[in-house]
Amino acid sequence: MLLTPEILTLDILNGLFLLFGSVAFYFSVRILLYYDASATTPLQYRLEKQSYLVSTIIKFIFALKIPLFIFFIFTLDKISTMLPGAMCAAGVVNATVYGTPLLMLKILNLYLFAYWIVLNNEDMKFEDRRYLHLKFLVFVIAYLLLLVEILLQLALFFSIDISSVVDCCGAVFSTTNGTYMAELLGAKPLYILSLFYGVFTFIIIAYFIKNRYLFSLLNLLYLIIALVSLIAFFGTYIYELPTHHCPFCLLQKDYHYIGYFLYIFLFIGTFYGIVLGVISFNKREYLQKFHISMIFDTLYLLGVSYYPLAYYLKNGVWL
Amino acid sequence: MIKLVNVVKTYDGDVKALQETTLEFQEGEFVVLKGVSGSGKSTILSLIAGLLKPTSGEVIVDGKQISKLPDHFCSEFRRDTIGFIFQRYNLIPTLSVRENILLPLLPKNLAKEEMQEKFQRAVQLFHIQHKEESLVKNLSGGEQQRVAIARANVNDPKIILADEPTANLDAKLSLDFIEIMRGLKVSNRTIILATHDPLFFDLDFVDRVIEVKEGQCY
Repeated sequence: MLLTPEILTLDILNGLFLLFGSVAFYFSVRILLYYDASATTPLQYRLEKQSYLVSTIIKFIFALKIPLFIFFIFTLDKISTMLPGAMCAAGVVNATVYGTPLLMLKILNLYLFAYWIVLNNEDMKFEDRRYLHLKFLVFVIAYLLLLVEILLQLALFFSIDISSVVDCCGAVFSTTNGTYMAELLGAKPLYILSLFYGVFTFIIIAYFIKNRYLFSLLNLLYLIIALVSLIAFFGTYIYELPTHHCPFCLLQKDYHYIGYFLYIFLFIGTFYGIVLGVISFNKREYLQKFHISMIFDTLYLLGVSYYPLAYYLKNGVWL
Repeated sequence: MIKLVNVVKTYDGDVKALQETTLEFQEGEFVVLKGVSGSGKSTILSLIAGLLKPTSGEVIVDGKQISKLPDHFCSEFRRDTIGFIFQRYNLIPTLSVRENILLPLLPKNLAKEEMQEKFQRAVQLFHIQHKEESLVKNLSGGEQQRVAIARANVNDPKIILADEPTANLDAKLSLDFIEIMRGLKVSNRTIILATHDPLFFDLDFVDRVIEVKEGQCY
């Protein structure tokens, strides 16, 4: 097993999350089964108290898990120097079969954890605890996914063999290796950019007409298209290399860690946009989430658009 | 106005502080809960104030099920509806009289003028205006008691709960306290006072005396 201080930190924290998460899971199941808001029995009063304890535990787990994702990516990037062939986190992710599902699951969990935190905040605002059942149901699902995530992470670090040569990001995100990914990355920039800026234009329209469902749906679409366009088009301008389509190298020092900023902008913008479609907020918060989402979606767009424009202004040609 | 319906309160799973109790208090009523230490008087007050949740049963104040309220709503309810006078006053000794009395108003974000008006009314009503800048730790027991009463009243609460309010006062100060209570009764507050002090049992303005014994009310 590959053991570095960063991996040990991740494993120890996962152990703690597992311990406290399991306690919270046990009580969450009891709450889901027996909680009856109208009852005045000893069991009900106990469950009401336990619901606060469990919410506090979950809140701290999730509040830590969200920034920990950045640390996880940072760790992958750091250990890539130990794997022959790997030049960034992409090499580590693709070093074993567990890497890609783990990364996908972590991204899914990231949105789920953030959703739970928003749900919990809303639940605490109403006397009737209207989101209580949904909140604990979401946690039960998130806990099961967290278990899978922890197992996959253990499997990833256990199965990495530092004596084997792995693919570098240039091979993984190549436009010529005949995979679906290659076809996607090889799509004409005009199509990709039309989709990217087109969806953003619709987001602006949905923002001004304040249609939360449309805004939510468009943000989901924006998340996918933003990632594809970053890998297929904008990334090449960040690296100033037309064949370099890696979503990880931009997290490195050579590129001023710009990837962390871009991904954080994208996550915050799309999360607050998507969440508008699934939770009813009061008017002030509803507008606040519209604004936050719009600001961060725009920051992401400005961030990625800067690179091709700067390249063109500097060199007078497109890549 | 205040109802306890089949309320049971058990501490640590086996200490039964309150047996199955049903009680009702009317608006403007002055009720004395009498009983020895550990009989369950303070538990009743804490349940009404939402400081404790019952083990089972309901506590209803003004039609609202206090016992079912989430904690932060309970705090709001307490802040807006209840003035609590504690046996040991529970003042912050390092703050001044003014700061202690104004504390319950701070979370309400009132205008400065309104806060000042409420403060002035409270200190004048309880004759503590000459000490408003003194630190609470430098006051006598009787003065601290007045500050505690002023703080409990600064929000104009509908309900005043007093838990052994004269336990730390001498006879003269206890009589002063009784006169203050008489004044509050006139202003149509609902007052529930828990005490073992016989001074309160035969007062002309007391509407009811409930005896609390081993967690049961008689």
